[in-house]
Amino acid sequence: MSEAVAVNEETEMEEPVIDLAIADKVIEKYKDIPGNLMPILQGIQDDYGYVPKITVDYVAERLNVYPSQIYGVLTFYAQFHLKPRGKFIIRVCMGTACHVLGAERIRETFFERLGIGHAETSADKRFTFELVACLGACGMAPLAMVNDETYGKMTVQRVDEIIKEYSSLPM
Amino acid sequence: MVTLTIDDKQVTVEKNATIFDAAKVAGVNIPILCHDKKLKPFGACRMCLVEVEQMKGRLIPACTTPVTEGMIVRSTTESVEKARKLVLELLMLNHPLDCPVCDKGGDCELQNLAYDHKVNVNRLSDEKFHHEIDYNNPLIERDQNRCVLCGKCVRICDEIVSRGALTFMNRGIETKIGTEFDGPLNCEFCGSCISVCPVGALLARPFKFKARFWALQKKSSVCGYCGTGCSLTLGVKDNKVLTTVYDENQGFHNGQLCVRGRFGYQFINSDKRLKSPLIRKNGELVEAGWDEALELVAARLKSAGTAAAALATPRMTNEELLLLKQLMIKEVGSPNIDHSAGYGHAALTAGLAKSFGVAAAPSTILDIQKSDLLLVVKSDAYETHPVVGFEINMAVKNKGVKLHILSDKRGKLGKLPGATVLVHAPGTEVTLLNAMAKVLIDENLASGAVAITGYTELCAGLAGFAPEQVADQCGVNAEAIRQMARDYAAADKALIVFPTGLAYPVQDAQVAHAVANLAILAGKLGKEGSGLLVLQEKNNSQGAVDVGFVPATGGLDARAILDGCVSGSIKTLLIAGENPLVSYPNQTNVREALQNVEFLVVADLFLTETAKQADVVLPVCSYAEKEGTFTATDRRVQKVQPVISPVAQSRPEFKMYGDLIRILGGQAPATPADAFVEIPAYAVLSYASLSTEGAFVPASVSSQLVLPKCSVSVVETGKLALLVGAALYHCGTLSQFGEGPLSVCPEGYLEISRSDAARMKIVDNDEVAVSTASGTVRLKARVSPRMSEGIVFSPYHFAGNPINQIWSGAAVTSVTISK
Repeated sequence: MSEAVAVNEETEMEEPVIDLAIADKVIEKYKDIPGNLMPILQGIQDDYGYVPKITVDYVAERLNVYPSQIYGVLTFYAQFHLKPRGKFIIRVCMGTACHVLGAERIRETFFERLGIGHAETSADKRFTFELVACLGACGMAPLAMVNDETYGKMTVQRVDEIIKEYSSLPM
Repeated sequence: MVTLTIDDKQVTVEKNATIFDAAKVAGVNIPILCHDKKLKPFGACRMCLVEVEQMKGRLIPACTTPVTEGMIVRSTTESVEKARKLVLELLMLNHPLDCPVCDKGGDCELQNLAYDHKVNVNRLSDEKFHHEIDYNNPLIERDQNRCVLCGKCVRICDEIVSRGALTFMNRGIETKIGTEFDGPLNCEFCGSCISVCPVGALLARPFKFKARFWALQKKSSVCGYCGTGCSLTLGVKDNKVLTTVYDENQGFHNGQLCVRGRFGYQFINSDKRLKSPLIRKNGELVEAGWDEALELVAARLKSAGTAAAALATPRMTNEELLLLKQLMIKEVGSPNIDHSAGYGHAALTAGLAKSFGVAAAPSTILDIQKSDLLLVVKSDAYETHPVVGFEINMAVKNKGVKLHILSDKRGKLGKLPGATVLVHAPGTEVTLLNAMAKVLIDENLASGAVAITGYTELCAGLAGFAPEQVADQCGVNAEAIRQMARDYAAADKALIVFPTGLAYPVQDAQVAHAVANLAILAGKLGKEGSGLLVLQEKNNSQGAVDVGFVPATGGLDARAILDGCVSGSIKTLLIAGENPLVSYPNQTNVREALQNVEFLVVADLFLTETAKQADVVLPVCSYAEKEGTFTATDRRVQKVQPVISPVAQSRPEFKMYGDLIRILGGQAPATPADAFVEIPAYAVLSYASLSTEGAFVPASVSSQLVLPKCSVSVVETGKLALLVGAALYHCGTLSQFGEGPLSVCPEGYLEISRSDAARMKIVDNDEVAVSTASGTVRLKARVSPRMSEGIVFSPYHFAGNPINQIWSGAAVTSVTISK
């Protein structure tokens, strides 16, 4: 990914300058296959970490589909992200078992410490915070995950430890 | 055919019909929210559930289930009733009960169904939605809180309009109708989505809080803008046209309208309408009585005699044009009459009149969807005639009709699936069409045309037009030209469509010859769904030609009339509804003509730029205030009746020209019906039987091959080529008084290619100066993927950005652009 950044006038956030050549490569790979919109959007998300608006317009022009249609697909599937995401994705389980064992306190603490709510990303792009319905490990409730690492039997203290640990890692 | 039983009624329908279609035929009313006869079945609302004997155990959606032989359908059983009531309860769960302040009240399908099914209490309860209402544009209000997710707006915008501005977004209970990135609506504002919305989620803002639906009188009329001749229903209250009302059974277009038709009606009751006749006294235009004004005009016309002239707009009815023609030729004694700048009608009067022996195109708009292949010359067809554009969209998307486009700029039609677009250098369309004709002849695809008059001369004349010889000049690939000609010849039914009008260059007569040659050579005439369709600019352009409102023998054409005003040979000029100061090319010359002519009379609805120069201004009526006939571009003669009485002191031109004839001692037909029988071209029609839907006057064609003249237009080095034409939102200069179109497209603009813009560091909305030796016009830039490098485009409708200061009507104008 290109290192250059520019301020997005709409969101007033710094965003990387999007190099459409990457999107081009993905489109070239799938362009003649029927039903290619999903793999192209997935490919773009793999490369950029999210689906930038400019790539939606670009894909629309290249594939001759409406931008609105692509947006419909992007918002239908939970797997797509329209905003840049953090390096570390913190997921807190809000399923039944976790709920009973105090998931709400864990959520609150993350929110207090990081200042970001569900599906939001910290200004320094280090953390993205997400609430999920169930992570499928109820025996370890209350549960949190950071990227692929699992943290069971969560407590308020462990929230601070996790944040400290990931804050010290290089970006 | 399939026979089935619905509610004990036996009915026989087409094999591919649905239960819903069959019920309609059987006269059984099945309630539904997500169905429109123009759209593909969708099955979203679940209101149309029925019981089918052969599919027991579940309820079947009538709108998506095809009929089968012997099917037994019941639509009024207890379980059906119960299911429908539940569907309504579920819909009403989140739908706000704000009918008293909802503009849709009284015209709302959900309201009607709730009433029919007695949903007066709800067993369920939930929070209402809290979506933000989109007030971001002046025409279409989107209130997603009222939406029932029937998807008709999404589908009509895709299937018919082909714009795709709307989409379903999110999932489950979060689902709503949105735009890309949920931003403000950014579309053509045709309002098709409003027309099909069953509830108050999409509303026409100009009509909001104007009147209750049931208080409106619904009156059938014909749109007064372009030559498509769409039938429309006007909503009238207190002698005011307040809105257009959708009727899916109206006209060939099933009630489908464009932005001008749906939102352009406001000019009819505009505050800017002229209130009374005006006479220039001591240099000022002052109000005067009709008698005084008419006496003065009659005297000045008579005294000028052969030095009088008239320019009329092809927005007048056939009967009015006939009377004005009689006034000028018979009573005043002047042959100098013309319209549309004198060349706006050349494709017919000079082009097809020679090629086909009749100044009319042989095909109709109905042929579009019956064709196998469409060849569109100039992608502007979509902008000039949007509803014809919808027909092309539907033909290509629903019927698999092949689309070939030959144009100097890209356009929306080129994005249709499978469309082949040849973008050529500006001003080379005749050369390209000649090259196609040459391919037909050389590759033995024109063998049926050998005996037709002019074949040998055409073959000889096309000697230098092999695709390989002209490819470089036209800027296209020779093989692509060959392929297009072969495809055209190979299609059983092929229809050529091309737009004309005073915004398009003088060479239209040659384009007409060239396309007529293709149709004749390849034997495409005389078949349904095949032939040639010329799209004419104004609502009665074809009528003006049929009535013969063109220079009589020895008469001057429009430009010669204006030159005559400059030189002093024309003393009295009557301009009926035209606004040449804005619409005619070469504005400097027009201005000089209007200033120099001794006596200028302007009859119009408004004090236009041209009317401000007049000595006498006569206030006349819009199409909504008069009786008469208009002839659509495919020679469909449509009758309109007054839907309101004349605004202020304005008079129908039929009365006004009749009075002038009588003042000069002549005999004028008393009624439009009397005048109609005097139009020889329409002898086959009976005035009494005409309606707003119209009746066709067939054109009997006697073909002749004519070698079109090619003029080579070269862009000066270092300059850009300026093309002039029409903008989607406007038609002529009348739409400048229709607040709707004007509110979304208020000023002129310059479309410029991405590469030129990048080179000159121009971005959208930058003001740029467009200059030639004759002057400079300042326009806002629009960086557009439509344009090729070195080519810019500007529409001609706007008095504030008079592109005709620098445009002379030439196919290509070399301009320089600076910031």
